[in-house]
Parts: sequence; structure tokens; C-alpha cells
Amino acid sequence: MANPASKRLFKEYRGLSSDPPEGITAGPVTEDDMFLWEALIQGPEGTPFEGGIFPAELKFPKDYPLAPPTMRFTCEMWHPNVYQNGTVCISILHPPGDDPNHYEHASERWSPIQSVEKILISVMSMLAEPNDESPANVDAARMWRERRKEYERIVRENVRKGLGL
Amino acid sequence: MAEQTVNIPQTLVFLILFLLAIRWYFSKPTPGTTSSTGTRATTPTINRGVRINPAQVENVAQMFPNASRRDIMWDLQRNGGNVTATVERLVEGRGLDTPPQSFQPPTLRTSNPISRATAPLSKPAHPDLITRYNLSSKISAEPSSSIPESNVPKKAWSADKNERQQMLQRRRDDMILAARRKLEEKEKAR
Repeated sequence: MANPASKRLFKEYRGLSSDPPEGITAGPVTEDDMFLWEALIQGPEGTPFEGGIFPAELKFPKDYPLAPPTMRFTCEMWHPNVYQNGTVCISILHPPGDDPNHYEHASERWSPIQSVEKILISVMSMLAEPNDESPANVDAARMWRERRKEYERIVRENVRKGLGL
Repeated sequence: MAEQTVNIPQTLVFLILFLLAIRWYFSKPTPGTTSSTGTRATTPTINRGVRINPAQVENVAQMFPNASRRDIMWDLQRNGGNVTATVERLVEGRGLDTPPQSFQPPTLRTSNPISRATAPLSKPAHPDLITRYNLSSKISAEPSSSIPESNVPKKAWSADKNERQQMLQRRRDDMILAARRKLEEKEKAR
């Protein structure tokens, strides 16, 4: 627990356990490795994701919190901002200055004052409101735009599948 | 007049041409659309557009028990679901092409009990949460009312590392089981 990254992660873990945000459970897979976390995110209500529980893994760099973690859903996830392999593409996970398209404000991007909790809450609201500007999954984005019914059907099906129904 | 007699090679050539013409005619989806979507109809579109009818596959498989269903599907997939063409191929003993490894039959539901065991070809890349966390025993064992609420501290932190780990796991399991029950009830209510 000597290095600052582990210390910081431990502190965040304590915060998330003592006062967990609604619909979020997160913590290290094992405390022996504070750099690999697992999170469960509940699907936001009033969206096709409602009722679902979506697992994801967070990998933290050794220089956390200077650099952001990466986040990857470990379930079927059909969403414009999630790559086919589950990797989440959202501005808070992008380091500042790493924005070739300049469509993200610096304030939305990663900085050491952000936290795991803020990431998970951002991802939760991303589920509710996809960002159409920079789709990670082009097919899902197109379907979301043009065939919303079909998109919602796939999402609902994944909700059921994820819970073993 | 030796020229007038029809000789065997000529007849054969004529027959082959005739057969090819019929095949060509049948392999067109509909005569009307060929001009506009001609390229789409002739180039093999893999897993796109063409939906294989399982009943057709079954029909062909019953006529030719030796042909594998996978091969039949591959042939139907490529000729646009044209059963006649596939049957013709088999009747003429030309056999069917072996599909490439990457070919995933979109519908592999057969009435064959042996292949049913292996039917879930579209196996999900990720196991569901119940399987992943080994919760199947808890689904039926704990109806929502019997969980003593006091045992499930929602906000919890312990000084002991193992205890912390257990509490995290407990919170995770509860979250999944609660969602599962809720969804089950919702589906029952429908």
C-alpha cells in the first residue's frame, strides 16, 4: 500500500463501500491488486436498460490518478459508445489534451479530481443518453438513430440474458 | 445424308446447355428484380440478407441423409435459399461445397435430438451473472421476503480485509439477485 496510486484507490474503495451511490457496486477484484476493479452498474430507470445489471472491469494505470483507468463491460452491451469488445468510450475516461476532434470540453475529461464514482455515474447516464457524436459502435449508433425500436429490443434482450433468463 | 442425323455429342451439348439455362433461370430470385439488384443476387452474401428457412434445410436433409446440414445451409445461403438448385446439385452427384470455418449457420435448430444438444451455437461470449457468480442455488432458495434485512448492511466497511471482501461480494450478489427477482416478477405479471 506504499505507492500513492494504491493509497488513493483504497480511499476511493472505502468511500464507495461506506456510501455507495444508488445502483452501483464497485471494488477491487481482490485487495492484493488494487489496480483491477470490478463494478456492477444498474440500468437506469425509464430506459431499455432498466432492470439490468451490467458488470464491467476497470483497469487502473500505475500513475493513477494522473492518468484515467480503462473500463470494459464484461457482458453483452449494445450501445453507441461502447466498442464491440466492451470498452467504454466516454469523455471522462480520456486524458485532457488527448482530443484530436476537439468536441469534448476539457472539464468533461479526465483529471485527478475525478474519481471512480464519477466515472461510474457518468457511464450510467451514458446508458440513458448515448452520445451520437463519436460512436464507438457505428452499427449500434445507426440503429439507435434510425431504428430505435429494434435497438431497444436488443438492449432488453441483453438485460434478460445477463440475468440468466 | 449423314449430316442430318443427330449425333450423341450434339445431344449432350444441347442437354447441358438446357440444364444450365434452367438452373440459371431458377437461381434468380425473381425475374423482375434481377436487373436492379442483380449483383446482390449473384454474389454470395454471407450471413446477410438471406434468411435460411429451417424447414427447407430439413426437407433437403431428409432427402439426402448423407449430406451434412451445415453444407446444405451453406449452399442455400449462397444460392439465395433456392432449394431446387441445392437438390439438383445433390441429385447430379456433384456434392456440396464445404463451408468455410467462419460460416455460422444462423438457425441451427433441427428436430434431430443429437444435434439439439449442440444447438446453442450462438453461445454468448459472456456468461450471465447467475452463472458467473454461482448464484443459481440462491435464486430459488431465498425468496425476497426471507432475507433478514439486518444481515445485509447496505453501507459497510470493516477494518478486516477478508470481511471487507465478503461484504463486497455480498452486496454484489444481493444486487444481482434482487434484479433477477424483480425481472422475473415483471415477466410473470405480463
